[in-house]
Amino acid sequence: MQYKSQAVAKPYFIGALALFVAQILFGLVMGLQYVVGDFLFPHIPFNVARMVHTNALIVWLLMGFMGAAYYLVPEESETELFSPKLAIALFWIFLVAAGLTVVGYLTVPYATLAKMTGNDLLPTMGREFLEQPLLTKMGIVVVALAFLFNITMTVLKGRKTAINTVLLLGLWGLAVMFLFSFYNPDNVVKDKFYWWWVVHLWVEGVWELILGAILAFVLIKITGVDREVIEKWLYVIITLTLVTGIIGTGHHYYWIGTPEYWQVWGGIFSALEPIPFFALTLFAFNMVNRRRREHPNKAATLWALGTGVMSFLGAGVWGFLHTLAPVNYYTHGTQITAAHGHMAFYGAYVMVVLTIISYAMPLLRGRAANSNKAQVAEMWSFWLMTISITFITLFLTAAGILQVWLQRVSDNPMPFMVAQDQVALFYWMREWTGVVFLVGLVVYLWSFFVKGEEKAA
Amino acid sequence: MSSNTASIAVQNPAARPGFSLLDRYHPPGDLAIWVFILAELLAFGVFFAVYAVARMKNVELFNAMQPNLDRSAGAINTVLLLAASWCVARAVAAIEHGRRAASARWLVAGIGCGAGFLVVKLFEYAAKFAAGINLATNDFYMFYLSLTFFHFMHVILGLVILVAVWLKTRAGAYSAADHHGMETGAAYWHMVDLVWIVLFPLVYVMR
Amino acid sequence: MNARRLDLVFAFLVAATGVTWVVGESGSAGPAAVALILGLAFAKGWLVIREFMVLRRASLLWNLIVGGWLTLVLAIIALTYWKAL
Repeated sequence: MQYKSQAVAKPYFIGALALFVAQILFGLVMGLQYVVGDFLFPHIPFNVARMVHTNALIVWLLMGFMGAAYYLVPEESETELFSPKLAIALFWIFLVAAGLTVVGYLTVPYATLAKMTGNDLLPTMGREFLEQPLLTKMGIVVVALAFLFNITMTVLKGRKTAINTVLLLGLWGLAVMFLFSFYNPDNVVKDKFYWWWVVHLWVEGVWELILGAILAFVLIKITGVDREVIEKWLYVIITLTLVTGIIGTGHHYYWIGTPEYWQVWGGIFSALEPIPFFALTLFAFNMVNRRRREHPNKAATLWALGTGVMSFLGAGVWGFLHTLAPVNYYTHGTQITAAHGHMAFYGAYVMVVLTIISYAMPLLRGRAANSNKAQVAEMWSFWLMTISITFITLFLTAAGILQVWLQRVSDNPMPFMVAQDQVALFYWMREWTGVVFLVGLVVYLWSFFVKGEEKAA
Repeated sequence: MSSNTASIAVQNPAARPGFSLLDRYHPPGDLAIWVFILAELLAFGVFFAVYAVARMKNVELFNAMQPNLDRSAGAINTVLLLAASWCVARAVAAIEHGRRAASARWLVAGIGCGAGFLVVKLFEYAAKFAAGINLATNDFYMFYLSLTFFHFMHVILGLVILVAVWLKTRAGAYSAADHHGMETGAAYWHMVDLVWIVLFPLVYVMR
Repeated sequence: MNARRLDLVFAFLVAATGVTWVVGESGSAGPAAVALILGLAFAKGWLVIREFMVLRRASLLWNLIVGGWLTLVLAIIALTYWKAL
């Protein structure tokens, strides 16, 4: 750690990992509810478990991004953070708000929660991923703006590099796109149209910039390759991302009542969205191959390479599978989507946050890298989680193909719930693989406490 | 950007199996721009193929609508783009001989031709919009507007790059020994030209 | 780079564009006219690739990739034209 104020990243990383655990636990609950419908009913109904699972994911990734920004911006800008106190205060506000929101989800019915939090004043709730009460949404905006202020001021007073510029662009984009969560037109077509501006332009747009910047930072540190080379690749990747990703939004506009030309625009551009991810894979391997030093943190290198591969597979390949309109006509909203969602979120965003945590946490704890023993444990967790998410994806893909066949393609299409019964075997396999994922996560957390001989920072 | 990538590649080509094949003997310009150019070519290639298939499925509509396009404007624009490419190629040739002032003049001429393309295209669009044509009119116009507009955006980007190269040339950043940056910008511009060479006969002439 | 060579390439490119324009204005249709303009498009594209983008200085692999793109795109166009006749 080169700057004292980088230390504020630590609580963010810890908070993120705590929410990660919550996300996985609720994922297991709802995974079981797929096959044992009344499990924990009426205390945790399926819709609530799902909401906590997805919202916890988004919040912990945001927390991870913030931690990453607090860690890398001072180092890139070669100056202390503008206000470390503000960063710490924001952390607690964010954590308490997230906690209260989850408590709200779990303790009162969603409709009551909506009434209590003034949803009739400005209706924004009830939409997938944007279920948060108005107060929480406003809280997110306040925290995000204060965070951006802090980070931007730091960059402005210090060195401007491609990495912190791209990171800022991504973070500002993230905040601006979130504003569309407050726009909820009565016309359901328009509602969905702008809803995707948050959801799609986050994960297939600005988040990719954040991903690229974080990965570039870690690669510079662990490989020692010239900044110039790494930054050049970063520029190519983000340009490709924006060219394909922005218009690629059209692949959500096939069947929602928007004009027909979206089938062509959305199809072509979203079909090209794997390209930036492929470039990312090449980039990660290329940089590690031409490394000029052997960094003691092997685990961080593994996470970085893993991000390159798994984001391409999950976001690129599994996205491409069902992005073309004639295919999507059959697969829309089936388990194929769930399969893609799981591997894409894990491969791109979970892994990049774990990459920066893996790199930064030892330094924040005063050593260049963890002990060999701890790194071995961490690498075990890498393989456990990565292999189990791969199998979860494969099982869900199998479930999805079967579902599409039974429910939509065959001569005697089955009703939804009947088809669900037919794919139950795959849901059971997914659930047990999910347990393996949880074991991997536990090993990961345990690796933070493994002692052994450490190298000084 | 310097020739950093190249020098590393020369130092240790074997360290990067698979990638060095593309890296070692790539065309003039930075490897990164060539990766980008390949991605762009793929995007346009897919777009052309989708157009061709859509035309095949609805050939009557496409043949009925195509005569409404302004082929002369299209041909003038083709010549303007070719001329711009030629000027840029001459600018690179001039800097190879260390003739900086001549190189800058060729770049200005190229930028002028590229800007001319935009002006002609804007008149073409204005005529179509005045006739009440938009993306929803029919499949032919949807493709015509989409493809040409996507290309239009690339011309703008290409011009931005050329202007940057021109400013650097005037500032004396390039020489006979090092004009890597100019070659990089030139390669991108030629790609914009190459794509139009396919687009013009496909959309304006073929029937 | 030889300036005279570039000038000759440019002259050919303009002439080929002129021919394409004449074909279009004359309202010519049918396989012969299309074969001519697609052939000219290939010649123009190949010259831009080899001479302006200077792929003749690059490895065979690069020539195959970029030349392959041009060939493939024009082949798809020709094939769909022929299928719709």
